[in-house]
Amino acid sequence: MKRSLRLFRSVRFNILLFLVLAAASAVGTLLPQAGESPEKVQAWLQAHAAWGRPLQGLGLFHLYDSWWYLALLGLMAFDIVVCKLWSAPSDASLGGGPTPLASLPPEPGPEAAGRELERARAAIAATPLRKEFTAAGTTQEVAPRLRELVRACGYRLLPCGEAGAGERACLVATRQDLQRWGSYLAHVALVMILLGGLLKQLFGFVEMVPVISGGSRAMEHRDWELKVDDFTVKYYDGTRQPKLFSSDLKVYRGDKLLGAKVIKVNDPLDIGGVRFYQASWGAVGMFHSVTLKLGNQAVRVPMSTPTRIPGTDIRVTADMMLPSFVIGPDGRADSAGLDLENPAVRLSFRVGKKAARPLWLLESLPDVAFEEDEDGTLGQAPPPPFQVAEIDPVLFSGIQVACDPGFKVVLAGGILWLAGMILLFYLHCRRLWVVLSPAGAGGVRVLVGGWSSRGPRDFEVEFEELTRRWSSELGAQGHIEDGAEARA
Amino acid sequence: MELILFACAAALYVAATLAALVYLYLKNERVSILMYHLLVAGVVVHLASFGLRLELFWKIPENRYFAPISSFYGALSFLSLAVAVVFAVVEGRHRLGILGAFVLPWAAAGAVGAWWRALYMGGTEIHGLAPALQSYWMNIHPMVLMAAYAIFANAFGVGLALLVQEAQVKSRKPTELCYRLPAIEDLDDLNYRCIVTGFPVLTVGILMGGIWAYGAWGRFWGWDPKETWSLITALVYAAYLHMRSIGGWRGRKSVYMSMVGFACVLFTFIGVNFLSGLHGYLSSNG
Amino acid sequence: MIVLRGVSHKTCPVELRERLAARPAAEALSALREQGLAEAVVLSTCNRFEVYAAGDGDDPGEAVGRALEAWAGRPMGDAAYAKSGAAVVEHLFRVAGGLESLVVGEGEILGQVKTAYEAARQAQMTGKLTNVLFQRAAYVGKLVRSETAVAVGHTSVASVAVDLAERIFGSLHEKEVLILGAGEMAELTSRHLSSCKIGRLVVANRTYERGVELAARFHGEAVRWEEFPARLRTADIVIGSTGSDRPVVTRRTVEEALPSRMGRSLFFIDIAMPRDIEEAVNDLDHVYLYSLADLEGVVKDNVARRRGELEKAARLVETKAAEFAAWERTVGTGAEASLGHVRKTPRGGQGEKS
Repeated sequence: MKRSLRLFRSVRFNILLFLVLAAASAVGTLLPQAGESPEKVQAWLQAHAAWGRPLQGLGLFHLYDSWWYLALLGLMAFDIVVCKLWSAPSDASLGGGPTPLASLPPEPGPEAAGRELERARAAIAATPLRKEFTAAGTTQEVAPRLRELVRACGYRLLPCGEAGAGERACLVATRQDLQRWGSYLAHVALVMILLGGLLKQLFGFVEMVPVISGGSRAMEHRDWELKVDDFTVKYYDGTRQPKLFSSDLKVYRGDKLLGAKVIKVNDPLDIGGVRFYQASWGAVGMFHSVTLKLGNQAVRVPMSTPTRIPGTDIRVTADMMLPSFVIGPDGRADSAGLDLENPAVRLSFRVGKKAARPLWLLESLPDVAFEEDEDGTLGQAPPPPFQVAEIDPVLFSGIQVACDPGFKVVLAGGILWLAGMILLFYLHCRRLWVVLSPAGAGGVRVLVGGWSSRGPRDFEVEFEELTRRWSSELGAQGHIEDGAEARA
Repeated sequence: MELILFACAAALYVAATLAALVYLYLKNERVSILMYHLLVAGVVVHLASFGLRLELFWKIPENRYFAPISSFYGALSFLSLAVAVVFAVVEGRHRLGILGAFVLPWAAAGAVGAWWRALYMGGTEIHGLAPALQSYWMNIHPMVLMAAYAIFANAFGVGLALLVQEAQVKSRKPTELCYRLPAIEDLDDLNYRCIVTGFPVLTVGILMGGIWAYGAWGRFWGWDPKETWSLITALVYAAYLHMRSIGGWRGRKSVYMSMVGFACVLFTFIGVNFLSGLHGYLSSNG
Repeated sequence: MIVLRGVSHKTCPVELRERLAARPAAEALSALREQGLAEAVVLSTCNRFEVYAAGDGDDPGEAVGRALEAWAGRPMGDAAYAKSGAAVVEHLFRVAGGLESLVVGEGEILGQVKTAYEAARQAQMTGKLTNVLFQRAAYVGKLVRSETAVAVGHTSVASVAVDLAERIFGSLHEKEVLILGAGEMAELTSRHLSSCKIGRLVVANRTYERGVELAARFHGEAVRWEEFPARLRTADIVIGSTGSDRPVVTRRTVEEALPSRMGRSLFFIDIAMPRDIEEAVNDLDHVYLYSLADLEGVVKDNVARRRGELEKAARLVETKAAEFAAWERTVGTGAEASLGHVRKTPRGGQGEKS
């Protein structure tokens, strides 16, 4: 089993996986995606008929839901578990070989202590930062003083048994050891985030429910009904840019009121994990009434109701509205979207029995008018003596209903990721090994080795400072030499 | 007035870049000091123009206390400021002003690009914020990400200097430039350190975006092009980090990977605008 | 007015210079004081012996000349040169900037000028003129170094090699150096490198004992010749200096060592003649190969560059000397201006005797 997993544990494989995921994700941004804009997908397929079928077969138009993309994500999660999380968490980068992240208490007995000594010696031999000096006294005297000094320098002593021989001792100390947990936590966080995504994929849903202002509508994923008593849009002065839109929302199951709130963008209603967001809005083409201005007179014309203009014989009927009026490629009236960017209304006039051609008038451009033929084509017309003062459209509120059971997991993963990042990249783990042995001409030979997670160069200055301090405190004579190969 | 100040700031950044290029080829410490002075002056003037813009922006009550970076002009302007500040801090601390020739062009290009857009494409108009952006996240999420981009721009400059220095030594006829640029291994280290600083910032910024999206639209992640490309950037830099620190790969291969990462940053910031409806400053729906 | 009498490597044979150099500075200064000179500074280096003096007497230059001859033990004739007034100023500035040195742009001379000034000051042989002059000379010397490239680039093969190593690795701390061979050049380069506090020195020689000998001298490690390809995996700098006729390091050998190096740079310095390392090795990624010819080429480039900068430095010195001369004149007329305010365009000519 271990051997077959070796592929997954290789760095090359991981890097390849990242890059494949990156490339696949990029493809999804360059092709239109069905989830976001199905019309664009259709348009693309029509434009590139030859490519269409095979690409569709590969699932490239719903790439992020396709089986192979989800398989890649699953592979990444599996890879993380196998590389980082499965085996007992250990850190091979530390000098001296794989070291468990959590230190175990030392085994008792002189044999175990002897092994610790050897391990410390090996660690010192392996690191380029080595110093040695000769301190005055015996090992029994020097060891506790050195321990105090090490602690005073901000290091935490790790359990390292007293070598039974009594004349030899070792010390292992560390600082900001927590850094070594950073990578582990970060990878756990990634798995959590992927898991949260999976939960959403399996148990969550997103649904857009457009509800006409004053109306109600049922939703699909639950047998609930959304009722919008009032939908308001406020614009920035003098512009058509909305500054606020909100719905007075009530949610019913049958007769029971489940929840009510005036929802705004960034301020949803939450009913047991199912959240109702004010996502969008628009006008479909219905309206309550049009107000026409005639000199100083204002005439309110309700929809599809012939109204007589006071002081004349003219009856006007307003029967159609377009929220974003444009003249289509076929010469007919059309709307560029559901936003109220260019509201226009169609008016038909009758004087007695005579009916004139219907006119399209625009709310924002009073001097423009279009005549409509029998077949619907438009032509320019001289502006009539009255203008459209205001159109009172029927608006719908675009309510996004979403349920994401995985979000809390993702959020927890996010926080764990942050913690992992801080530990991994902003802490600086350092380790010191000291081996004390009797020096030939009396005194204690102190051999010190240092390791830093950021490489020797970042630790050099501090290491030299430390050894200099200790050697002077311990009454060392002579130089601090760069430690030669550890001698027996 | 704001535009004039900003134009001055852009001009100062360009001048600082020119000074950096001159310093690269001329051995004159005074030019380096000039470069720093120009840069700092540029940052100060830039901040002043930013302050003016803030005042105008906050005249609209709905905009109160949000940062004016919802337009491409605002964002690009902020980004060039961030690059200038990151350079001043990083290179200033390590006394690597010589790298100005490789990093400052990005600050200058950003500022000039923003100014050009403002002048010719009417980008300085103050709009009210769309309702979706009226959230405290507006002041956090974009800034965090742009700080990451600025750090990566720095890393790119360092990588470029590394390739130049490598070519110099490899040619066996090193010119004076070789002695002015830092050592190859030092540049590699600095590149790594910049990315190590920037990567957490990037990923946290992405997560923040997800949390904001959950609060605004109900979904944490929607594979919107901007979201996707920021993830691609993170994946490429993660590949770099794995190459360098776990794989132990140093030298040219890893530098190329970090440069691909920066190309992704550029696409995330600029290219995506042409693709995305949600995030697009430049697209028709943006 | 200030005068100068002196000899240098350009004018004077070595034995004469040596005799003068043997004179301790303190003794020379007191001798000059006895001659009636109010101010004097003695600059004595292996290539130069000069006395800068000023006094109230008829001709201070005469007095100095006599002293010089006394020390040299014979008349100087053409070997010594004499300057006075503004010419002295320019000369001193040139000396301080390293423009008159044997190796143009060398840095030691500036320190030597400062030491000479200090000695004179302590012997209380300096006055207003020499104080300002020498302090200004120190400033100009530094200026020449910072504003021109006259001092950039080493001019010996060994120091160029170390320089290049530093351009690749930054600091040479904890770097591992592998020396192939154990001859004289190997020793010279080892000495240069070990003064840079390298991490480890490994010597591989065909004769193991000679390798051990060389390694011992520099606290290094010796390995058997057959083991050196394995050491290519961990070495950072490799010096080829065997006496072999054919290359001992082939491209294949290096290629095999590269994967375990993980992209860390490897610097080959091939100072053997004929070459120890195959040319093809340079084509490999992250590997840098400099042969003796390449290093000598760099030295030549540096020397030429320094010389090219010479003109620039000379003009700089001229400008500063003229500034000084203008200041000196204001002192004379009593309307003394500060050196900082003097205009940079020179007034009057050089070599003018006042």
